[in-house]
Amino acid sequence: MFKKFDEKEHVSGMTPLKSSVQKAMKNKIIQMYPNIEPYITQIMPKKEGLKVVKCHDHIELFAVGNELIFFRQRESPYYPCLRLLHKYPMILPKQRVDRGAIRFILSGANIMCPGLTSPGATLIPAEQDSVVAIMAEGKEHALAIGVMKMSSTDIQTINKGIGVENVHYLNDGLWHVKL
Amino acid sequence: MASADVEDVPQKDVSYPRKLIYCGECTMPLEFCEFHPNYEKCKKWLEKNLPDQFDALMRLSEDDPTAGGEGEKKKQKRGGRGMIKTRKKTGPQKVTIARMQRNKRKYVTVVRGLSTFDIDLKVASKHFANRFATGSSVTGDDEIVIQGDVTYDIIDVVQDKWAEIEDEMIEDLGDQKR
Repeated sequence: MFKKFDEKEHVSGMTPLKSSVQKAMKNKIIQMYPNIEPYITQIMPKKEGLKVVKCHDHIELFAVGNELIFFRQRESPYYPCLRLLHKYPMILPKQRVDRGAIRFILSGANIMCPGLTSPGATLIPAEQDSVVAIMAEGKEHALAIGVMKMSSTDIQTINKGIGVENVHYLNDGLWHVKL
Repeated sequence: MASADVEDVPQKDVSYPRKLIYCGECTMPLEFCEFHPNYEKCKKWLEKNLPDQFDALMRLSEDDPTAGGEGEKKKQKRGGRGMIKTRKKTGPQKVTIARMQRNKRKYVTVVRGLSTFDIDLKVASKHFANRFATGSSVTGDDEIVIQGDVTYDIIDVVQDKWAEIEDEMIEDLGDQKR
């Protein structure tokens, strides 16, 4: 989504978010990611207003102060940004890929099934269309955020093609956005 | 490093938000530096800025055959696939100053090229506005327009404020037509 994203070209404006919308968003996030609940006040303090950064292709980024925390496209679910995920790794369930896949993911490739089923990887049960963090063999931190394109059982049985779509990865356009 | 598998439940011995250090060269978490095309640069940066971390990382790659050593051998040779493109960084270039005629006897001063020095244009424009007691605005990608003819003083002001801009990096283009 952010492979060709450029801050200068694609950002069209930043506006504060209405408090009612903020509240709705917060509830939705807690509903989606229950693990985040104890920390939600740290991540989105009540005092500081949320800002929404509108970008082309109906992408919206949500920021607190100078830090981006969530983003979404059209009516998609809210995805946490990688920096936020690094701080609070328990937000998302974690799929782990083998070592060979890392460099492809870091250049923006989607995650293919074999990368998730090979010995170095761990595949945890997850539904189709759920949001997951992509970890890597031998690494401590997430390197991408993705959406399951198949359910975990399908990945196991079919073992071919795209298993997880890469939404946001280290060093992509969003990673480099500075507010 | 088993910590990657199970952290769905917040761990008790870690306080959140977790702090982690990002590499100054490739901006990724340190452990991913080895996948960056400019790994050598990352190493240098790390050695210079965080010697402790550097030592730990080096020891790790020696102990663990899957990290580092063997990776080099296994490197895919064919095609250029899977390589991360490095973003071009343009280093500091030149600041240019121009005067433009606005209305017979009135002028504006145009300063270009400040952002190549990693200067925040908004802050710069505010500084100019305060300094010259006049209007100043960011008008483009890398352009600040100061109302009034301030060419007599602007070079000194720029150099006072940002000492890294040297004499030869700043150029007065004189009168320009818009």
